[in-house]
Amino acid sequence: MIGLQLPLSQTQRIRLQRALEKLQSLSCKANSDASVTVADTIPVNYEDAFLKGHGTTDLNGDLVATVCGVVERINKLVYVRALRARYKPEVGDIVVGRVVEVSQKRWRLEINFSLDAILMLSSMNMPDGIQRRRTALDELNMRGIFEENDVVCAEVRNFQHDGSLQLQARSQKYGKLEKGQLLIVDPYLVKKSKQHFHHLEQFGIDLVLGRNGFIWVGEHVEARDSMVVDQANSSEQSMVPEEKNKTHTPLEMRQNICRIANAVRVLSTLGFSIDADLILETVELSSTVKIDIHDMLGSEFHVLVAEREAERRSLVGKRKR
Amino acid sequence: MVGLSVGEKHFIQGGIAQDLRSDGRKRLTYRPIYVETGVIPQAHGSARVRLGATDVIASVKAELGKPSALQPDKGNIAIYVDCSPTAAPMFEGRGGEELSTELSVALQRCLLGGKSGAGAGIDPTSLVVVEGKVCWDLYIDGLVISSDGNLLDALAAAIKAALSNTGIPKVDVAADATSDEQPEVNISDEEFLQFDTSGIPVIVTLTKVGRHYIVDATSEEESQMSSAVSISVNRKGHICGLTKRGGVGLDPSIILDMISVAKHVSEQLINKLDSEIAAAEASEEES
Repeated sequence: MIGLQLPLSQTQRIRLQRALEKLQSLSCKANSDASVTVADTIPVNYEDAFLKGHGTTDLNGDLVATVCGVVERINKLVYVRALRARYKPEVGDIVVGRVVEVSQKRWRLEINFSLDAILMLSSMNMPDGIQRRRTALDELNMRGIFEENDVVCAEVRNFQHDGSLQLQARSQKYGKLEKGQLLIVDPYLVKKSKQHFHHLEQFGIDLVLGRNGFIWVGEHVEARDSMVVDQANSSEQSMVPEEKNKTHTPLEMRQNICRIANAVRVLSTLGFSIDADLILETVELSSTVKIDIHDMLGSEFHVLVAEREAERRSLVGKRKR
Repeated sequence: MVGLSVGEKHFIQGGIAQDLRSDGRKRLTYRPIYVETGVIPQAHGSARVRLGATDVIASVKAELGKPSALQPDKGNIAIYVDCSPTAAPMFEGRGGEELSTELSVALQRCLLGGKSGAGAGIDPTSLVVVEGKVCWDLYIDGLVISSDGNLLDALAAAIKAALSNTGIPKVDVAADATSDEQPEVNISDEEFLQFDTSGIPVIVTLTKVGRHYIVDATSEEESQMSSAVSISVNRKGHICGLTKRGGVGLDPSIILDMISVAKHVSEQLINKLDSEIAAAEASEEES
């Protein structure tokens, strides 16, 4: 936040400061000194038994932070969550990744984790939908399904014993993402929720919030029914790529995609958690203020979003009381 | 750079064709420019320019030297650009050398003019102290910290800002110098002469993607380009330099069209840049 690369005028700076202070005071964490840098002492009651977690170390009897981040306390566990950390996967998370390699019977995906994730050929639905054993021919045709640099949406299946990650994409809603743009934000901004796939009907747009910080905004694609045998369709699809060159996304849908993408960028710069409701509210705010799509990335809109978020949270806080 | 899938490439090309790029800009809109001056206190002048995620620093150092025998009334100016490995891992060691030389040569061509010094954006005659004997040597260095496309425009803007920030120390020449000896010079520590930067041009890079040109391409958009033409235009609307990159050939009518588009875009860019530089200098004085 301190490195906000925006040219703020004096009044904008004051307004932003006020909004951020309001948000900090509303934050539910009781300890205001929750953020620490390396070698800061963490305030702990030493009489209570507590467990030292990640990012902490015992130095001369004091509990000291080893990374810059936020102190989290869960029951007796005290740990420091680093803000700029890589994504920490959990089983069942929905992630969006980019294919970096096509190997024997598997694809390797980059998902902003310390290792590349593996998507096995057997964890993918076949294009013709039949549940069968993967043959050598399937292995040779892997590039027909996903190529290098393709953007893929999948779910975390499990961890291997050596620490690497396995993904699965068995359902129809997973798979290749086309006709849109990929945005990269910090992973801690995308919290686990019930739904990560959002179909925004009023815009006709698909929004996929990957927990690894990769967010996909694109045209809506109907999930194909796997039971329908696609033999006839597959020959049709091979002709479509040439026609695709002529049919671009319609302008109105493109404007909506850009507006949503810019809303995500603004929220990520300000450090607010990203979920579909907040994105929609930000887009509505931009249309009410009648701001140009590109001006959404300007300083005035950032200040407006921060102020509106402070308002919203104070209202929610009042309602709870 | 990170690769792009076929779908994403198609989306970018479609956006440019429909005049609505991925971040909502029109084809001829620049990203917000953020200028900071005086970032390197030991240099005579310095500036840092951020253009979206592209981040460059330019610094100017002046040393006393001897003018060349062919041009005794002109000072020497050298421009050199370095790509730091923090911008991309491939710049480590000698990986960034090709790009660095390309940028240095393009900047020299645009700002320094031809071999005889004709048509230079920066006037070298203002650098001479004693004609034929003593002159100022200006070393302009550029450093690329973060690369997200359009490095040439950002570097030219940074050089312009750094030169506006430059204070060349006042030099007192000993009055009794004979024509053969090297005159004694006294470099003042207190008084500085500001450089006149009104004539310095800016560079506008037009990237051709498909049938349209865009200004200020991000690195994703640059990966889709067929060719790019960088045109250096000064305040009077004169062209000070022209560089073309990219493997695809261009019809001459397209080049002429690009030049007129660049002239049109440069007017707004020069005004915006001048106001940003003035604001940066003002805030530097306050702090």
